[in-house]
Amino acid sequence: MISLGENKEQSDMHLSSAEETIQRLIFSLSELEQLGQTLISGHSNFNVSSKTYLRITLGTLQVRGGAILCYHSTDNCLTIAASTPESEATQIEIEPDEAASLLGCPIIELNTPPDNLHNFIERNSDLLSNKSMHRLWVPLKIHDEFLGILSLGKFLGRAKLEAWEQELLTILAHQISIAIAYSRNEERIQSEKFRLFMLAESAPQICQLLQPDDAAEQVVFQAVALLDANMGALMLFEPQHKNLELSYVFPPELLSSEDDEQEADNQLTIPIDDMDDNVTDPHPKTSEEMLIYVIKNGRTDQCPAKMDTLFGGRSLMAGPIQGRDGDILGLLVVGDKEERGGRIAEFTFEDETLLDSFAKQAGVAIENARLHQEALDARLLQAEMEEARKIQENLIPDTLPDIPGYEVAGHYEPRGPVGGDYFDCIELKTGGWGLAIADVSGKGMQAALLMATLRAGLLSELTSARGREETELVDMKNELIDMAMTLNSLLYVSGTEEKYVTFFYSHLNPDTDILTTLNCGHNPPLIVRSDGNIVWLGEEIGGLPIGMFPNDMVPLIAKFEAEQIKLESGDLIIFYTDGVTETVNIDDEFYDEERLEQLGKTCSDIDASQICNLIYQSVMDFQGDADQFDDLTLLVLRKK
Amino acid sequence: MANKFDIQIRAEHEYAVLETAGYLNDSLGERLSKEAQELIEKGYTQLVINLDKTALINSIGISILIEIIEALDERNGTLNFCGLSATQERTFRMMAIAKYAGIFPDEKAAIADF
Repeated sequence: MISLGENKEQSDMHLSSAEETIQRLIFSLSELEQLGQTLISGHSNFNVSSKTYLRITLGTLQVRGGAILCYHSTDNCLTIAASTPESEATQIEIEPDEAASLLGCPIIELNTPPDNLHNFIERNSDLLSNKSMHRLWVPLKIHDEFLGILSLGKFLGRAKLEAWEQELLTILAHQISIAIAYSRNEERIQSEKFRLFMLAESAPQICQLLQPDDAAEQVVFQAVALLDANMGALMLFEPQHKNLELSYVFPPELLSSEDDEQEADNQLTIPIDDMDDNVTDPHPKTSEEMLIYVIKNGRTDQCPAKMDTLFGGRSLMAGPIQGRDGDILGLLVVGDKEERGGRIAEFTFEDETLLDSFAKQAGVAIENARLHQEALDARLLQAEMEEARKIQENLIPDTLPDIPGYEVAGHYEPRGPVGGDYFDCIELKTGGWGLAIADVSGKGMQAALLMATLRAGLLSELTSARGREETELVDMKNELIDMAMTLNSLLYVSGTEEKYVTFFYSHLNPDTDILTTLNCGHNPPLIVRSDGNIVWLGEEIGGLPIGMFPNDMVPLIAKFEAEQIKLESGDLIIFYTDGVTETVNIDDEFYDEERLEQLGKTCSDIDASQICNLIYQSVMDFQGDADQFDDLTLLVLRKK
Repeated sequence: MANKFDIQIRAEHEYAVLETAGYLNDSLGERLSKEAQELIEKGYTQLVINLDKTALINSIGISILIEIIEALDERNGTLNFCGLSATQERTFRMMAIAKYAGIFPDEKAAIADF
């Protein structure tokens, strides 16, 4: 309005000022519309749109410089989202009570701040000294939530804002507050949407992994991504050793030593004394105490970064992994929940629920992979057993030779896993005969190969030195002892501590009917004399099994010995493995030597082959429906 | 999964390719955002992000990718992704990223789209 009495010059000035105000108001309205457009444009991300908001605000209010500062309650700081002039991103620390004080002030002149903000402004005086950016502050807020600050610098052509400009500033600040809140909500919704999708997507993905190592790796990866963590670990409980052992850690180099950058050792074992112990809840817990608490109580828990001694001082959360039957298989650990801008937040109750849900899927995945591995191992073992069986069967002669003046018969019955029994009757160049029976300790391929080694060694010995003419008056007993030492040396280097062979070897001279025998820890063969007397061969001198100790230790423990007997017409010798005498019936009784002896006494009028069948049938009848796991081998020699 | 965090940039005359390696989280994401922003400031409006060596992305990585899409959209630019795993592609479609950015099997196809 122009009052009466003013001169033309004055009235022109007023008109010009009024026109300017009207023009700025029109401009402001159009800028406000643009601000609204920005808000609804779909560009929800305030990191992108903040510059637009600042530009519109400074243009509308005709301010030279300014900034929008966003508040992060996680680590109590303000960061610059946009500024004019451009500013290096710098954090301004602010205490929660200072943020609350700002919330109560509509506009703050930084030259004359309220008393309760003096400390804050003084503490950050270096950062706030730029008056072209920080002169007047308007808190950004929605209801009682402090979101940040709209900071204005020097006003163009005037010392302070007009009243209408201050009202406009309040409207602009409100718009910016809405944009920040909207952006954060959008981010939160996107994050939740992502997590739910990941949770649904990860289940089929990890459950179809069949290798335990792959499953462990993927379980950790998915957990890390799902919880926005920057570290993860899977630790599995080993009930045999009562240990919690690290299965996989991300990043893999986390636990490797500084000296060993190439190869991460990743060893971490935590002893769990008794799973059934009641655990009190120590507070505060170290990371190790927290993991023990989780595995024993089956409940998710957390540990602050300052208490972590295992994963490099991280804020940790761990959840138990349960199998189908409710057993605790292990636990899943995630560390340092990330927020934008490198901030680390605390895991929330929702995070604990999410980890629990994911750990259930992880349990299924880990069990699936374990079962698959067990099935594979069983199949491999089966294949190995088949191979071992073939090797074993090739060691057993299909037919036995005719020994002049003697009957000889043998029987081999595989029962259960491959045991490694062996028998043979070998014609020597001297005109003598070698009769061998043996039983290897243990099962499977290694046992079969050890027995094959024994057979090869035996044949080699019998066709070389031990094959010389007996007319040379060789001391046969010493020859056999030497052979035992040679075979012992061969098998000791070929086998392991648990693998050895019980072995009984007999050298028969059919011209003299002298039988020289060597017992290396084997069951003593039974001799039924033609007059009905019973003798257990080598019972008194049963030496060490072959391959159990090195040669230099043998004399110190129990040296190999041999003995000689003369066979008479009608004498019967039954060589056997423990599969005969240790056959059990359904009452858990052994067939034992006594039954064999009684049966042997009844065989005076039948030939070797019939005796073999008779003993075998007797053992089978005794066994009945009882399961047997040891092979049964018989070798029968009878002097006509 | 590649555990070394890295970004390779190949800027050609009309477009630029940003290839990430490792976990696309806040740390790698902020670096990607900065590199993309610098390319946009230089006038590049056609960008390809190759995620072939990034098997793992968290929600912050996703929000940063959305931010790059928005920044390019402000300049009427185009962002194409390539090298995504099947899960990543499903995630991008579910998160509506695929509505505002192209998804291609490899770099050649992503560049040919410009």
